[in-house]
Amino acid sequence: MNRAELIAELERILGPRGVVANPDALLTYDADGCVMDTHEPHVVVLPTSAEQVAAVVRLAARAGMPIVPRGAGTGLSGGATPMQGGIVISTARMDKILQVDTANGRVLCQPGVINWELSQYLKPFGYQFAPDPSSQKACTIGGNIANNSGGPHCLKYGITASHVLAVQVVLPDGSIIWTGDGSAHAPGYDLTGVITGSEGTIGFVTAAWLRLTRLPEAVRVVLALFPDIAGASNTVSQVIASGLLPAALEIMDRLAIKAVNDMYKLGLPEAAGAALLIEVDGVEDGLDELLHDITAICWRNGAIDVRPARTLAEQNQVWAARKNAFGAMGRLAPTYYLVDTVVPRTKLPQTMDEVGRISREFRLPIANVFHAGDGNLHPIILFDRRDRSQNQRALEAATSVMKVSIDFGGVISGEHGIGVEKQDYMTLLFTTDDLAAMAGLHQSFDPHDLFNPGKVFPKGRGCGELAALRRSGVAWSALKSG
Amino acid sequence: MNLAVLRADLAAIIGEQYVSEPAADRQIYGRTPLLVVCPGSLEELAQTVARLAAEPVAIVPWGGGTKQTWGYPPSRPFVVVETSRLNRILDYTPDDLTISVEAGMTLGALSAALAANGQMLPLDGPLPARATIGGLLATAMDGPRRLGYGSARDLLIGIRVVEATGRVSKAGGMVVKNVSGFDMMKLYLGSFGTLAMIASANFKLIPQPRAAASILCRAQTPAPLWKLVNAIAASQLVPVAVEYLEGLALAGAPFAVAVRSEGLPAAVERHVRDVSAFAQQAGASAEPLRGADHEQLWAAINDVPQTATLAADELVARVTCLPAELSNVLAAARAAAQRAHLPMQATARALNGVAYLRVRGSTEALREWHAALLKAAPQTTLLATPSALRAELPAFGAQIANLDLMRRIKQEFDPNDLLNPGRFAVGQL
Repeated sequence: MNRAELIAELERILGPRGVVANPDALLTYDADGCVMDTHEPHVVVLPTSAEQVAAVVRLAARAGMPIVPRGAGTGLSGGATPMQGGIVISTARMDKILQVDTANGRVLCQPGVINWELSQYLKPFGYQFAPDPSSQKACTIGGNIANNSGGPHCLKYGITASHVLAVQVVLPDGSIIWTGDGSAHAPGYDLTGVITGSEGTIGFVTAAWLRLTRLPEAVRVVLALFPDIAGASNTVSQVIASGLLPAALEIMDRLAIKAVNDMYKLGLPEAAGAALLIEVDGVEDGLDELLHDITAICWRNGAIDVRPARTLAEQNQVWAARKNAFGAMGRLAPTYYLVDTVVPRTKLPQTMDEVGRISREFRLPIANVFHAGDGNLHPIILFDRRDRSQNQRALEAATSVMKVSIDFGGVISGEHGIGVEKQDYMTLLFTTDDLAAMAGLHQSFDPHDLFNPGKVFPKGRGCGELAALRRSGVAWSALKSG
Repeated sequence: MNLAVLRADLAAIIGEQYVSEPAADRQIYGRTPLLVVCPGSLEELAQTVARLAAEPVAIVPWGGGTKQTWGYPPSRPFVVVETSRLNRILDYTPDDLTISVEAGMTLGALSAALAANGQMLPLDGPLPARATIGGLLATAMDGPRRLGYGSARDLLIGIRVVEATGRVSKAGGMVVKNVSGFDMMKLYLGSFGTLAMIASANFKLIPQPRAAASILCRAQTPAPLWKLVNAIAASQLVPVAVEYLEGLALAGAPFAVAVRSEGLPAAVERHVRDVSAFAQQAGASAEPLRGADHEQLWAAINDVPQTATLAADELVARVTCLPAELSNVLAAARAAAQRAHLPMQATARALNGVAYLRVRGSTEALREWHAALLKAAPQTTLLATPSALRAELPAFGAQIANLDLMRRIKQEFDPNDLLNPGRFAVGQL
């Protein structure tokens, strides 16, 4: 099938408005939020239904072309980048919230619905969709499911996987299935669970039943300033150890404080080495007493200022600073590389020391904004992409952060995914046998590697090859002598 | 198969004293294992599985043995591989709020170790002194507090398994948030040991609450209690469990709802006040329980679905449905039980759409009741039945969707059907 035939066939399936084939337009699909690797697709399609997605998938199989899913393109690991070209299926026109079912605590929506818009839509019903990635004003539900996204409030409410009840997916063979209806314990294997977080490599989500979370009756936010990260980190540990599970525990370091100060006029003292944002929620009763206890823990750990935000306006201002901190980085450098790793929570102070050392070693400033309660770091390496040396050093600094995180017992991604960005670091974390088990799962869904190929698994290690290795047995030997 | 050679080889791997003839309590619906082996380390477990796979002979993983009646009996001769010696804590730094434990550790032993540090893993499985972590995960057993803290699906952050070939693989890690690689935990959870044998598991922990109390609401009919459940759901209260109870002596009434609140003392008292008021408005009585009374109530509720001690004429089932359908499903189960003259007991996660039912009676009466239940609730899993009915009734409900895809997964992970053959919804090759 030549290009013209392919496009004609796609237009027959989707109508002319559903196909993007203009070379200039295709260039805008050559990357997502991870700009380190780029590659343009052969063609982009904008379906409106699962049936259209399935028809495109069947056509792609005939044409021998990969399928690459794309939501808003805010991903930071290159998951939506068509590294081998092929057909990008954008969910931009699958953006409907289909049914709110409060009686069963669930909402049905298409994958192109924007995370923030879903929660805004649910507010009048008294509910929210709890996962709230920092990019929530742009990112889509489909992308959240593909990456099992997190966000500040997953400390208390859990990651996306805990909020996806069932999905409708188009499989690589072009069939359309539902993994359940949102009820617990659907018989058999947990297909919903394995599809969530599989980065679009085993199924294309075309609709989802998501869990509704009741809006809390009351919320309190405290912003505490510390001379250094250690004081803030110790506060985090003690708040949790005192039997409290806050809704969010977020830290910004000196450089991040400077950036958001400039942008949001927060008037935070720039002598502060760390700002800790603590949010607690629940029923009104006891929250002020709790706020008092948390404030005391902050002071005990050397806080230089503690600012309770009681009104919604005050709380929104603090949260806006946190959630838009990445955007504020533009004030500090032309480009940044946001690294996402996780360490056990008690290792945070040491890890932050190491991040400081890495900043000095590679001579690049690094700002830090992170989910302290989860141990999820986000070092933001500031550099100028036009400078080749800085480009190289930024990549090396990111690698060092990953290695340090693993050395401290952590992992290479907490919420952004592996994609292309981290695929070659998977071997730092996983043995060949570990990867082979994942490849086995992949093979059962996508034996011909049609969906988002060349992602997640290390380059040069095909899933077929890994899975074949796994099928062979191991030799047994006597362990106990005599 | 030369059993003597197999036995000698296994003894060489794990030691003579850990290879034994099956005791009477290792039977599953009358099927007796060829041997019972009890490896003492991950390496021994892996080598044991590799040796059994080389034979090849089927493997039945065995933790506390409290849920071996779930599903179907093994379809072929098998060796029981016990995890009782794999009962260690592998890694625990309390301030990290994570723990890694071997599969054979009991929930009770784990809870005791955590309580010493003011922490908990609120899985609430039945018979915690016997039930193991591996068994809880393999069956995805839940508990009343899944409402407040989630189930194992939400709390399991890492896993190590021995695959059907004896290969060892892991996934996840010791951090609470992790998208490094596929979420294999979800694959093994609830798969009845048909894809791999769980060797160890890592969990996210919860700090113990500062205060806790229950409100036990009683009524002579179910209607006022469902009104109460709906009032709680519509409120902004955040109870950690809302459990519907029927036909249970522990409730002190034919029908009851137990509500569990945990958190700050003032918040707990608010729950006691509001739930009591909701109950009275709905026409149910409300009794607050604190301290030992509160603890004992929940220990008893958690044990209701147990399948370790069964009468010869007893059937235990789990029903799942959309939460709003639960009262109708239970009404259908009750009506069918009355028609068949069966006394029925139920404990149900009222806001999660999960119910555990127990009935006792003649084979004919149980058959009739089950057929009626299956119509009302296609997702009915049989957790125990009298032996006479075992082969006859579908253990995993009226229909299993996506079976082709699930069979491809099974085929990929266990092509020779060595792991728990015939026992699960998938894998009856």
